[in-house]
Amino acid sequence: MASKGFSRIAITQNNINKVQEHLSRDDRAGAGIEDVVALAEVSADSLRLFFKGLDHKICEELSDVVEYITTMKTEVVGLGARKLHEQHIPEAGKELDVVVKATADATNRIMTLAEDLMAADTTDHDAYVAQVNDAVMNIFEACSFQDLTGQRIAKVVETLKQVEARLVRFTEVLRLVDGEGLDSEEFMAKKARQEALILHGPQFDDEAMKQDAIDALLHSDEDPEDVIARLFA
Amino acid sequence: MAIDMSMPILVVDDYQTMIRIIRNLLKQIGFENVDEASDGSAALGKMKGRKYGLVISDWNMEPMTGFELLKEVRSDPTLAKTKFIMVTAESKTENVIAAKKAGVDNYIVKPFNAQTLKAKIDAVFAEAA
Repeated sequence: MASKGFSRIAITQNNINKVQEHLSRDDRAGAGIEDVVALAEVSADSLRLFFKGLDHKICEELSDVVEYITTMKTEVVGLGARKLHEQHIPEAGKELDVVVKATADATNRIMTLAEDLMAADTTDHDAYVAQVNDAVMNIFEACSFQDLTGQRIAKVVETLKQVEARLVRFTEVLRLVDGEGLDSEEFMAKKARQEALILHGPQFDDEAMKQDAIDALLHSDEDPEDVIARLFA
Repeated sequence: MAIDMSMPILVVDDYQTMIRIIRNLLKQIGFENVDEASDGSAALGKMKGRKYGLVISDWNMEPMTGFELLKEVRSDPTLAKTKFIMVTAESKTENVIAAKKAGVDNYIVKPFNAQTLKAKIDAVFAEAA
């Protein structure tokens, strides 16, 4: 390969020498169109020889790389990362903040009404009935939060679906595999704390232990280590 | 053994709404002497200043969890005998086993109702009798 590359350079150098020779001739001041064409032919010859000498396989590989980069550029643009970062994700966060506030407001309103009823004077029957009716109507009104929070959560779910679809397409087109090491230190610390302190958060119904099972486990005389061994055998 | 309805109870949760719910349920059951704390370390501070008959604690709190609070309470000779009920959304087997090993008296999974809370309090004090 090295000698082939060397001979290619030699040939090209030979042609360059011809051009230099042509340019250094004393009579070049009166050069006509034939001289220009001859010069162009010499130059074209040099390039043709150079490209002809290139390994066909390398050409194919370079062509693949160019195609991959072009596809990647198209897919990166298609991800819309900037819009996701600047618009969609913050909007989704804002929606969830509003949901949290709306549920907290409704819960507090309902609890206040319930507490007022618990403390109500029941000696005046008519006044008590009026207070109960008023509280019931207020509780119905407070429950209307569910419709709005449902719609807001549906918008967040739609955003998540969009993000998922774009990421799935991106990884499939570029044939990417998952790597490690991109999690922030803060995230890693949080994860380590969750593992050390057994923090899973609420489980789905099919994953959670029922109260009856918990009672049985808690009041069993069996050694906890034996229970673990039995459960995970 | 009859339960002393005037005993001080400490409710520990980082959600004010949950504290309010438990406080109201306890009130319905007949307990009026209820204190509150928003995490394990705040609870520990209160427990060192006042003797509580019962602690009802959430698990998942910051900076100190209810699980850490339970272990601290059981390792302190002056607090070790305090009744401790865990009220939590953590409902995996490993959580229940860890709590049992750490010495929890009872374990309630959220969401729960007044009947469950009363039954567990009764059970804790019946075992002690």
